[in-house]
Amino acid sequence: MTKVTFDRVHKAFGTFVALEQLDLAIASGEFVSLLGPSGCGKTTTLRMLAGLEQPTRGTISVGDRVVNELPPAERDLAMVFQSYALYPHMTVAQNIEYPLRKRGVPRAVRREQVLRAAAQLQLEPLLDRKPRQLSGGQQQRVALGRALVRNPAAFLLDEPLSNLDAKLRAHMRAELIELHQRIGKTMIYVTHDQLEAMTMSDRIAVLDQGRLQQFDTPLEIYNRPVNLFVAGFIGTPAMNLLRGSLRPDGNRLVFQAGRLSLGLPAALVRRDAVHEAGVDIVLGVRPEDLGLAGDGVRATVKVVEPTGHESIVFFDLVDHTVVGRVGPDVRLAAGEPVGVALNVAKLHVFAAADGRRLNADVPPAAAQAAPSLVA
Amino acid sequence: MRRFGLSRILFNLLAWAIVLVVSFPLLWTIVTSLKPQTELFLIPPSLLPGEVTFEHYRKLLLETRFLTYFSNSVVVSVATTVLVVAVAVLGAHSLVRFAYPGRERLAQLVLFTYLLPSVVLIIPLYLLLVRMGIANTLLSLVVAYTTFALPFAVWLLRSFMAGIPQDLEAAAMVDGASRMGAFFDVILPQALPGIISTAVFTFILAWNEYLFALVLVNQDSSRTLTTGVITMLVTSFHIEWSMLMAASVMMSVPVIVVFAFLQKHLTRGFGAGAVKG
Amino acid sequence: MTHAEAAARETAPRLKLSTKDGLLGALLIAPTVLIFCAVIVYPLVSAIYLSLFSIYTPTLKGSWVGLDNYAALLASGEFWNAFWVNVVWTVGTLVLQVVLGVALALLLHQNIVFRSLARSLILFPYFMSTVVAVLVWRWVFNDLYGILNHAMMWMGLMSMPLDWIGSMPNAMISVILVGAWKYFPFVVISVLARLQTIPDHLYEAATMDGAGWWGRFTDITLPQLREVLFIVILLRAIWDFKEFDLIYLLTGGGPVTATQTLPLLVYKQAFALNEMGGASAVAVLMMLFMLGFMLLYFRYGRATES
Repeated sequence: MTKVTFDRVHKAFGTFVALEQLDLAIASGEFVSLLGPSGCGKTTTLRMLAGLEQPTRGTISVGDRVVNELPPAERDLAMVFQSYALYPHMTVAQNIEYPLRKRGVPRAVRREQVLRAAAQLQLEPLLDRKPRQLSGGQQQRVALGRALVRNPAAFLLDEPLSNLDAKLRAHMRAELIELHQRIGKTMIYVTHDQLEAMTMSDRIAVLDQGRLQQFDTPLEIYNRPVNLFVAGFIGTPAMNLLRGSLRPDGNRLVFQAGRLSLGLPAALVRRDAVHEAGVDIVLGVRPEDLGLAGDGVRATVKVVEPTGHESIVFFDLVDHTVVGRVGPDVRLAAGEPVGVALNVAKLHVFAAADGRRLNADVPPAAAQAAPSLVA
Repeated sequence: MRRFGLSRILFNLLAWAIVLVVSFPLLWTIVTSLKPQTELFLIPPSLLPGEVTFEHYRKLLLETRFLTYFSNSVVVSVATTVLVVAVAVLGAHSLVRFAYPGRERLAQLVLFTYLLPSVVLIIPLYLLLVRMGIANTLLSLVVAYTTFALPFAVWLLRSFMAGIPQDLEAAAMVDGASRMGAFFDVILPQALPGIISTAVFTFILAWNEYLFALVLVNQDSSRTLTTGVITMLVTSFHIEWSMLMAASVMMSVPVIVVFAFLQKHLTRGFGAGAVKG
Repeated sequence: MTHAEAAARETAPRLKLSTKDGLLGALLIAPTVLIFCAVIVYPLVSAIYLSLFSIYTPTLKGSWVGLDNYAALLASGEFWNAFWVNVVWTVGTLVLQVVLGVALALLLHQNIVFRSLARSLILFPYFMSTVVAVLVWRWVFNDLYGILNHAMMWMGLMSMPLDWIGSMPNAMISVILVGAWKYFPFVVISVLARLQTIPDHLYEAATMDGAGWWGRFTDITLPQLREVLFIVILLRAIWDFKEFDLIYLLTGGGPVTATQTLPLLVYKQAFALNEMGGASAVAVLMMLFMLGFMLLYFRYGRATES
């Protein structure tokens, strides 16, 4: 019963709006990532949930309780900070048992629970050390232990992996996923790293400049980004975006961007989005949906970046630069002329004016709920 | 700077020569206090005592009210230090971690108080203490010293506590501590170096203070060292130099002890405060 | 929240969490504010108030005289003499404090043997009691037995012992010297702390560019010290201007009024002449002057920085 709900939550610092009318319903036991660039409001959202900041308007609920007026200590939430925030003057064991001390748990029970948490995270040999004697990864596990030991209603994690090196980060990602599977508690995870969000979450809430852009499963967000921002933010290398115009031509559509001209099936775009006179759009295509084809559009290879298991290739496509992926066995040289084809079924169409997704596969209701890009 | 040899040695000699010249008066005091009375007034004066004697110290401790003054000073200085540190640490915490109207202005006002010459403060303060009925007591000195030691203590502690990461307090609160609980469990232990520096400064300030002690306390039994020693040994006609030098050494002993112990902290304290302005 | 709880919430007015938090913050600073009021507001208002009366110190009874105290002061030679003496003393001792302070900070920044001990010895004058310091120096200055006179005669600098305290201009020089000796360590500590934060690589780069030690000092050290010195000079100027203990104990303001600064005049008016009102007037005038000085100082400082 530990769902988390944000109901019309609004946060302003003076005239600066950090969070605009957030409505978010997180189900019990879900792993949800709050994803977005710096300043998008994700950390503010987390801190308001923890009780470290107060919303200007709106209510936040944990389970069925509205927690707005509860101090952090009474919300039954545990938090792992980006800096770990381990108490420097206490040992690892004392750090982990601190929340239990605050709740008046008797010493013998405390000791036992600390040992149990330490065992779960392989911290036993470190129990008597001070935080400054630990490595980054070890400190992070202590922070986790301190959160675990309380058995809270939900876990809040504020970019806990960003201070670790790449290899350790990958390892801890897997550990966190496994931890979630094991304990099944609601976890709310703030990050700017879309790879972390994609690999760990049941659902992702994408935020930009204080507004919720999309709240969906990772695959949905990847395959059906609701606007231009989400499309460009998720996926590495980023989606190719071509600005141009779209107009009907008989029973198909023609996309024109400078000298580049593409024919597209009419079924791709929503009927009401296309006008006779044409509409300005941005056409999106992911690098993996762009490939070599003998009869494709004429293009020139610009740069090849071999990564071992594939190659990232930059093409000069009729005045536009696009990025594609090719297999490891394909040999390309800079300047080589090739034919490039786009997987029409995987094209994304966005309105140039407000960034909204215009593909026909978006159900009308969702299309209306999705916010527009304009600031 | 890594050349050994002649220039290095010369430099060290020069440096130490300067240090000795600057600290000469202090060393001279110690030397004088150990000279027997007869040797004191030699012309020309002897650089080192021909005979080392502790007779002046003995006289001071056993035949005068020196010990009374000493214990008064201890009581006043310790009480002031405890009071000032307690009030200042709470005030600094408030200035750093809370939000309420007028907070910024208060922070700026702190050092402004030092614009006032103590001679200005003393008259109204004296009147206030008389009205409170505690004039001429040690308590009046504690009150008086607290008032002028507090601004500096708040300023110093504020710089220290601003350096404590915010996350620590937040983590404690999420872990189940109240605001004040987090303060005692987490902030105070972290602020300890700052607290020590502040305590040292306050103690020395109170220990050395003269003007307020002069004006506020007339009763000999309540006198502190600074005024007591002067009254006892210095009149318009005669100055007991030998006992005066011995008294000077003994008055400085607590300062030396406190000072030597925490010399490292003191430099850090000024560094944190002065550089940040 | 259940219906019952919500209903209860409405009938019992409760403070919002943010308000409660703000109140706690205000509570924590309340003792400090209370004491501040005792230190700033009350004495300031009192001093101004008292200065408008003529008050007999022992009985603290007085009568209204309006601005007469001020008029009398501004017309009196003694006031302006005290003002001038104060300025001479402040400037003299301040210059010495800064020069000595910076020089010794540079010295102590180097790697000399027993550096900690050297530092302790240098810093000690600041932390010792003014009473002790003055007593010691009076012993050193003593015309018959003082070591200073004997040392100078032995070195051949003079043939007769000097009266360091009882005659002019010796008395002013003595006061300035003792003041410098007592307070220059404050400059040393502040400058030394700053010196320790100047990254070595700045000096290394300058050396590679061919700068000698003087060049390194003027081009790297001095600019880095600018900020610290700005504050240190301001603080020391204010504190030296207000200084009472040292001058009172060393010369008592003498000979006659040759070293009587404004603080000493206040004390004399209040406790020797028993004129509390007049003393307050002097104090208020002192304050106004220092306030004016501070404002000008900041304006000048900001102007030269840009």
